Amino acid sequence: MSLHVMVIGLNHITAPVEIREQITFARDHDGSVTRSLLNLEGVEEAVVLSTCNRAEVIVMTVDLENAADRILRVVGEAHGLDVQPYREFFYVKGAADAVRHVFRVTASLDSMVLGEPQILGQVKDSYRHSTLLNASGPVLNRLMHRAFFTAKRVRNETGVGKAAISVAYVAVDLARKILGELTDKRVLLIGAGEMAELAARHLMSQVDRPVTIINRTYDTACALAVQLCGNAIPMDELDIGLAEADVVISSTGSREPIIQPEQMMVAMRRRRNRPIFIIDIAIPRDVDPEVNDIDGVYLYNIDDLQSVAQENLGERQQEALKAEKIVNEEVAKFMAWTRSLDAAPTIVALKDKLEEIRIREMARLNGKLSGLSPGEREAVEIITRSIINKIAHDPISFLRKSGISSKRNVYLDVAQKLFRLNGGLPAELSHHGSETEEE
Amino acid sequence: MDLLFFKITIVLYLGAALGYLTFLVISSGAQPWIGFLLAVGGFAVHSLSILHRAIFSGFVPLATPFDVVSFFSWVIVGLFLMIRYRDPSPIFGSIVTPLAAVLLLYASTLSYQIKEPIVPVLKTWWLPIHVVLAVAGNAIFALMATGGLMYIVQERLIKTKRIGRLHHLLPSLETLDTINRHGLPFGFFLLTIGIISGALWAGSVWGFYWSWDPKETWSLITWFAYAAMVHQRVVLGWRGKRAAVLAILGFALVMFTFLGVSVLLGGHHAFTGNSRFMGPSRL
Repeated sequence: MSLHVMVIGLNHITAPVEIREQITFARDHDGSVTRSLLNLEGVEEAVVLSTCNRAEVIVMTVDLENAADRILRVVGEAHGLDVQPYREFFYVKGAADAVRHVFRVTASLDSMVLGEPQILGQVKDSYRHSTLLNASGPVLNRLMHRAFFTAKRVRNETGVGKAAISVAYVAVDLARKILGELTDKRVLLIGAGEMAELAARHLMSQVDRPVTIINRTYDTACALAVQLCGNAIPMDELDIGLAEADVVISSTGSREPIIQPEQMMVAMRRRRNRPIFIIDIAIPRDVDPEVNDIDGVYLYNIDDLQSVAQENLGERQQEALKAEKIVNEEVAKFMAWTRSLDAAPTIVALKDKLEEIRIREMARLNGKLSGLSPGEREAVEIITRSIINKIAHDPISFLRKSGISSKRNVYLDVAQKLFRLNGGLPAELSHHGSETEEE
Repeated sequence: MDLLFFKITIVLYLGAALGYLTFLVISSGAQPWIGFLLAVGGFAVHSLSILHRAIFSGFVPLATPFDVVSFFSWVIVGLFLMIRYRDPSPIFGSIVTPLAAVLLLYASTLSYQIKEPIVPVLKTWWLPIHVVLAVAGNAIFALMATGGLMYIVQERLIKTKRIGRLHHLLPSLETLDTINRHGLPFGFFLLTIGIISGALWAGSVWGFYWSWDPKETWSLITWFAYAAMVHQRVVLGWRGKRAAVLAILGFALVMFTFLGVSVLLGGHHAFTGNSRFMGPSRL
């Protein structure tokens, strides 16, 4: 049997969100979609993957040409709609392309946010679902395990998932690089607006101590303090706040800077030079830029954070190039493995045929051999078996190795013709090799 | 066989340095395992080398300049491997492993022959006490200077908002300042009792504790420098960049006192064998 991995699906690149909302395989919770895929002619194994940015089915099929239509029909039925108008949103990938796609998805190279870590878990869940339904077999088992292995290699050998690419995460990373562990640090919010709250959320999840909030109108500060389980202080105690805090997020609507260099210098003396990280997300700015020149003060405004995020994204993309190389290596290994499976039926047929000839000839000579003692008969058996093994050895090892050669179909074809083998051979192997070749 | 372990150690440390530096240039994802493993291997063979010297000399292997510099390098690598547990920044390794290798290369140019019979002055337990204390103190100062160097670079990167690869590879400012904060009292304490033990040793063999030998003078200068550093840190709350700069300047002074004075100014710590009291050399 010639086995092919095939992927059919849509993702954030090929389909807009309105379409992605409709195709989610939501009904596969009970395994019904997976089962109807397995019922299709030519489909042997199936994994259904659905995340908020993609919905796809991964199958092992022996009929690459016709499987796509059948699978799409099942996808349509599963969502109670006619799939024809949606065809343009789907990609259909076969053989090496499909394998590469699965590896790239699992390694988060195909994600909307390059390198985001959740996808690996989602793929693992989908695969587990499939194994529980007995829907995965030798090919998809190996495929998925190689995909997880590839994702692990990408994570360990490249920085695709490393650098922070959202402003909130960049701020937290920077805070860590300045202050070390954040759990025991103090956060001060200046301004009680929505912006401050948004910016502080991720930071506050890293910090154990209650946040302090300062606002021009004290009542608003108190309201937000209740919401964030923090405490509020009035505006005229800003200097005390600056002396105590380790991270300051400022987002007031003030026209003039509210933190001046002189003021900050005094605060630094009070803090005994403990470093302080100030994030100024207000426009116009709340903190005089010269504050950054004071020893131990690290001032970042929203543009600074954004440009770091941008740079980090560039770094991830750079790393993604390394990751693609790893993926290509792993795809090549996997394809070599599937090809060695291709040769197996021919090898079995060859062995069977030779053994059959041997037995037939032994039977034909039965009369002439009847004079032999059991020991001599045994010797003849051994000799004949050893002769056919020796003859078959080279062709068989050649066929095994031909899995990596691009001419493999020709070799298998020739082998079948030379030995006039038949039986157990997939029809497409003996004639055309159109769809699977990588060249 | 003479210095076989020692030579293997040099090769391993150089390999580790190469591993770390290559890592800095090309890779970015994983840890620099090659450099680290070579450093660990180097440290193990280095330990064997010191053990071998101990067996060879029949006493603590600290009686020649060669042994003292080798021991210095050994303590630095040992401390590095300990700190690495807390902070596995590859930059640290790429400074410490070349430093260790260079020290050993320097040691290999120094005299390592133990002259028989060993002068009585060196055949006393004051030798290991004094040398171990002084060398351990110096090793801590070396790591503080390394940390200081990294601090200055990292601080500059954050201030000027150049958040690139180097920034990600360097430890946090907090970690780097911690090296200074913890190292300073330890190093200063070791330096102090190192000097005192030297004076007591001198008193026990020559009858006078202090002779204003160049090494003694420069040790005292170094001691005052670090005393000032402790004062700035504890009383004035100096930390971060200023503490880092002081750690680097202080270590420059340490290296001059430790290695330079003996070569340039002579005295009874001289490397050459013609000083007034000692006959064979030591540091």
